[in-house]
Amino acid sequence: MTEAGVAGRTYPAVTFEIDKDRVAAFARAIGADPAAGVPPTFAAVYSLGATAPQLFEDPEAAIDFAKLLHAEQEFEWTRHPERGETVTSQGRIASDMSRRGIRFVSFETETKGVDGDDICKSRALFVIRQ
Amino acid sequence: MTRTVTFTKEQIAAYAEASGDHNPIHLDDDFARSVGLPGVIAHGMLQMGIAGAVAAEAAGGGDRLRRLVCRFSGMVVPGDRVTFTAEQMAQGGAPAAGSARPRASRGDVPPQTFKLDVRAVKENGEAVLTKSSAEYV
Repeated sequence: MTEAGVAGRTYPAVTFEIDKDRVAAFARAIGADPAAGVPPTFAAVYSLGATAPQLFEDPEAAIDFAKLLHAEQEFEWTRHPERGETVTSQGRIASDMSRRGIRFVSFETETKGVDGDDICKSRALFVIRQ
Repeated sequence: MTRTVTFTKEQIAAYAEASGDHNPIHLDDDFARSVGLPGVIAHGMLQMGIAGAVAAEAAGGGDRLRRLVCRFSGMVVPGDRVTFTAEQMAQGGAPAAGSARPRASRGDVPPQTFKLDVRAVKENGEAVLTKSSAEYV
């Protein structure tokens, strides 16, 4: 098992507005009630989705997107955001290991409200076949 | 709580649009085949979204969910019929009959947490979400 050089890398925080129309479209796509507020897994958008492009577009992280699989995902919520709320999300490469030709990248994102209060922690495990 | 969903290309495309995940393995059959897939596949996060909606219903509302963990173990393609389940785990237990909500926390006592076992299984018995669970207050 080898540890690559980008573990611990933190990306700049990203500001994201919880748009009500996008929330409604997301709710319909997962079969939830669009009138029932922000679906918990909208964290896929405001937390993971807001920050993962920074990882995928980082030439030094060298993620081969065509060989990437999303193997595991965890969300932990302190609270859920409101429609119209602005949040900030910051991503970090928690670990980066290769084993038998397969690379495992753990990417963590912390999402906070405008006052700095905790909203959500996202942990994604990406597997990249070499 | 159980929900059975037959996946369609339209639903996968709607999730791509709403989530912003436009990876062509979910949208373009030719591209998907070029990277060794049978054709377009559903987003793992779409499966997790449906599982999360079922878990939110089992928890009595999405705002009560505190944790959701999914392991994506199998591919889901258009036409697959998948049954999503969120059930109380024996350990950690459901709220006692008659107490609709756990007691509010007092001081430094954290609110009581309940656990749900989350599963998604195809009609042929193949599990597509494994080692998956949720917690709620």
